[in-house]
Amino acid sequence: MIQPQTHLNVADNSGARELMCIRIIGASNRRYAHIGDVIVAVIKEAVPNMPLERSEVVRAVIVRTCKELKRDNGMIIQYDDNAAVVIDQEGNPKGTRVFGAIARELRQLNFTKIVSLAPEVL
Amino acid sequence: MEACSALISHSLPCISFAGIHVGIPRTSGDLQLLGRGEFNLSVKPRKLSGSFMSSRMALGSNVSEDTDDMFDDLFKKYGKVVFKRNDQKPPSAEVDDDAESLSFAVAVAKVASEVKAGDIRVLFVKPLVYWTRFFIIATAFSRPQIDAIGTKIKDLAEKQYGRVASGDSKPNSWTLLDFGDVVVHIFLPQQRAFYNLEEFYGNATLIELPFENQQPFRS
Repeated sequence: MIQPQTHLNVADNSGARELMCIRIIGASNRRYAHIGDVIVAVIKEAVPNMPLERSEVVRAVIVRTCKELKRDNGMIIQYDDNAAVVIDQEGNPKGTRVFGAIARELRQLNFTKIVSLAPEVL
Repeated sequence: MEACSALISHSLPCISFAGIHVGIPRTSGDLQLLGRGEFNLSVKPRKLSGSFMSSRMALGSNVSEDTDDMFDDLFKKYGKVVFKRNDQKPPSAEVDDDAESLSFAVAVAKVASEVKAGDIRVLFVKPLVYWTRFFIIATAFSRPQIDAIGTKIKDLAEKQYGRVASGDSKPNSWTLLDFGDVVVHIFLPQQRAFYNLEEFYGNATLIELPFENQQPFRS
């Protein structure tokens, strides 16, 4: 359950360290975003000497949420953090590697690029 | 780091879960969960040894030894496979599927080379990731060429193999076509060097292509 003003960790090596959600992309008045949704976010904290800077506005895909993800077979996945991967307007990731485990639902939502850069897919 | 902790906290309950409840009659839904838990277990040592410091590694190996002992005990007690997922195919069917995917992958690579894609690599990634079998990585030198390669591959897949690709519909600097068991990546040279997928999947076996791949460049 990511909503505007939620802070998220960054799960890639793009150079951003912390994001704050400012808008959910999709419907006009959507309240919450979940795994696989695209958000507009602002970089709150960045690694020095990297292309992305603090207070820059970027797009990101949510890859992990503390809110549990339910599958049809009864499986429930819940992570310890909220995390997102920074993407550009075309949907390509800005970083070259994704860290941590991600869910396979991202592949169904056409984020196979992120899945193929991830070390582990649950 | 936090992501890793998420992973551990996710997989540890599965261990205790598997340890306590194996062999007790249960519903099919639970059994499926159990199977998944074991899957996580088998993945974990690789993850730990790859990215953790030595102290963490010691901890990880200790845990895995414990669980190994636990499974050994269970095996001695029950003697047979307690549970097998019923959606698993027999090995012969797996080999057939692999061969079919391989022929499709080689056909796709051939089409790509006909449209003058450079440096085509076919990687057998099934031992590394569970979600696909083959990666095809190719370089195109302009966006129109990416479009041409993508369209040709889609046509071939649809006409001869009856498969439809998901993934990018428009040409992109990294265009990805997802056919399920075969995933095609078409890069511009700059993006190919940037993402460096071959290095990330360096342990995958490279499939030899039956045609001449490296076309000499004319400068």
